[in-house]
Amino acid sequence: MALIYSGGNNVESDELFINMGPVHPSTHGVLRFKLRMDGESIKECTPVIGYLHRGTEKLGEMKTYLQFIPYTDRLDYISAFPNNYAFVKAVEELAGIEVPLRAEYIRVMTMELNRIVNHLVGIGSLLMDLGAATMIMWGFRERENALQLFEMLCGARMTFNYIKPGGVREDMPEGFIPKLNEFLKDMEKRIDDYEQLINGNEIFHMRMKNIGVISGKDAVNYGWTGPTLRGSGVDYDLRKYEPYSIYPDLDFKVCVRKEGDSFARFIVRMDEMKESLHILRQVVDNMPESKVISSAEYGIAPMTGTPSSVSTYFPRIFAPPPGEVYSRIEAPKGELGFYVVSDGTTKPYRVKIRSPSFCNLTAIPSLVKGLKIPDLIAAFGTIDVVLGDVDR
Amino acid sequence: MNAAEELKALLPGSVISIGLQLNKPMAVIKKEDLVKVAGKAKDLGFDHLSVVTGIDYKDHFEVIYNFFSYSKKQNLALKVNLDHDKPEVDSLTSLWKGADWLERETFDLVGIKFIGHPNLIRILLPDGWNGHPLRKDYDMNTEQFVTIGENGDDVVSPDGTNLLRRK
Amino acid sequence: MEKGGFRVDPVTIDTTKIKITKKQPVTALDKLNDTGLISTVLAAREREGMILFSTIDQVFNWARLSSLWPVTSGLACCAIEMMAVAMAHHDIARFGMEIFRASPRQADLMFVAGTVTKRMAPRVKQLYEMMPDPKWVIAVGGCASTGGPYHESYSVLKGVDLIIPVDVYVPGCPPRPEAWIYAVIQLREKIKNQGYGAKWGLNK
Repeated sequence: MALIYSGGNNVESDELFINMGPVHPSTHGVLRFKLRMDGESIKECTPVIGYLHRGTEKLGEMKTYLQFIPYTDRLDYISAFPNNYAFVKAVEELAGIEVPLRAEYIRVMTMELNRIVNHLVGIGSLLMDLGAATMIMWGFRERENALQLFEMLCGARMTFNYIKPGGVREDMPEGFIPKLNEFLKDMEKRIDDYEQLINGNEIFHMRMKNIGVISGKDAVNYGWTGPTLRGSGVDYDLRKYEPYSIYPDLDFKVCVRKEGDSFARFIVRMDEMKESLHILRQVVDNMPESKVISSAEYGIAPMTGTPSSVSTYFPRIFAPPPGEVYSRIEAPKGELGFYVVSDGTTKPYRVKIRSPSFCNLTAIPSLVKGLKIPDLIAAFGTIDVVLGDVDR
Repeated sequence: MNAAEELKALLPGSVISIGLQLNKPMAVIKKEDLVKVAGKAKDLGFDHLSVVTGIDYKDHFEVIYNFFSYSKKQNLALKVNLDHDKPEVDSLTSLWKGADWLERETFDLVGIKFIGHPNLIRILLPDGWNGHPLRKDYDMNTEQFVTIGENGDDVVSPDGTNLLRRK
Repeated sequence: MEKGGFRVDPVTIDTTKIKITKKQPVTALDKLNDTGLISTVLAAREREGMILFSTIDQVFNWARLSSLWPVTSGLACCAIEMMAVAMAHHDIARFGMEIFRASPRQADLMFVAGTVTKRMAPRVKQLYEMMPDPKWVIAVGGCASTGGPYHESYSVLKGVDLIIPVDVYVPGCPPRPEAWIYAVIQLREKIKNQGYGAKWGLNK
């Protein structure tokens, strides 16, 4: 009950129920909050999800392994390469496939480019919700350059279907590396621009510091992973401590902040963009020349078949041996894991997707007790939730 | 000695067998001792519950928990076998707060009840949905439609005439 | 005695002797005269060039198609392409869709961008019914047109035209911004041909 003081008398008022419905400009997708308010402060917040539940896991049992890869693109649709790669890594571990080195380098290059794009969109939407529309315009301008690079590589802007078990679908075209170098040089200057615009801004500090504070121990208990966990002081990055692909050979820092509030999570994302640029430069410098980048034995036909390899032109049946595997990678939003159970046929028996946004969203009710609605939007924006990932 | 063997040494009565989940240590345990074994795993340093998976084999159910330890950088998997007619198991929400939504999702899609869960209702599908889709005997041929009822809640029925424009 | 006091003379007109001389139209007013629109040319001759003649339908359709205001109803992946189309590189503001209105009461175009699930379907229908007339709907992407890649799923509505009437369908997954802009141009053509003026052949 709120007490309103008017001339010495205490007037009690009732609670207010507000529904931030599925269609709302500030929730990133179709997410619904049921809020119980006491005046202007939130007493209790219940997220309601499921408005985008498309049944991807059931479809995984009805399609073959290669047919399921486009569905993984649509999970976290802003950065689609890591989703592809997480599923393909699970399948490769199950079937025991070796991947040529050049394919691994190309995969890491695309995943780090996607990390930059994801953080740009995340920071842009966060600032647009706070009222500053400049950052989203700049973010999407940079994103267009990266999307043109992806289009050169595999023909699609957002949903790629490029990483297959055994390698990648086809090699990089001729002018790709010079254009990528231009993008890297450009991006460095732009990140300095963003930092100059945002980091020192007083209004931004007032809106983001000490909002949505969570301690490291609580965050681990809730199952948080990714940049949100590193903003609370827990030093953990799957690329460093359980490395996969060529990450053991690369040299990069893990960005950690201790405070645990929204501002710390924001700074972690800005720092991660710079680290991704550093990784990309190493990858471009050390790209090996290996002949075969997509292995034709495992059911992938090479896109440009020479006459001598006509016999391997048609895909064969791809059926890994029976078993189960749980493999996880560091996606831009957190830890993305696929649990694949195979029974020896061409279709999986069960595919379970552990998505970072779903697990990061569980802590929202405890994060926003006592705050106002604009603070809910600020705290929620730093957790960087995409509804395709939550609802699958 | 990996983590599954440690657990077997500490609680020999609860652990049925030890194996490998491709390259991670896995322990199959009795379903009544789940909270005890999980609590012991938490004491050993496994503080991150990664995923709760429910699988419908045609004669039994399985629930698999994957843990990870930030301090020791090790993995551990626990597996529980359940009856096909009455799939019920204890809930881990007292130890990990993140298990809340993971268990709700497993209940919603596979149909496994978690005893002791504070709020076990459907999360991804609307409340009145019939059946659990990820079971192998789910009926994919009848379409169920959702309309909005009187006080704003979802009403599910196979008859969609309020909603559709033409039959 | 003639009827009513008027004198009626029988008149025969020899139609073979009538020659119709058609002048070639020179000025704009002559061309306007040729179109067969009902117009008063006398007043116009005095102030040539400062008066515009047209049908009501043409004027209203021109006003409607030049400033369509969309409502933000992006549901899934196609919503990100909607944001990309609205930003600086492919600019949809050149068609008058400068701001996406947050409230459907102030909008007249709805982009259904993304998968419409069974749980979200009554809300989309309610959003459509809240928009005032005249209103148009563009179904963007494979999922909104027919269910798309998720056609066999248990919780996806097989196309948004099961619940609301759709004017333009855009295929693609997600459709490129160029395809999006082409869809907007097609909708503008459709709006230009609406109304009684077009039905009676008066809009030239």
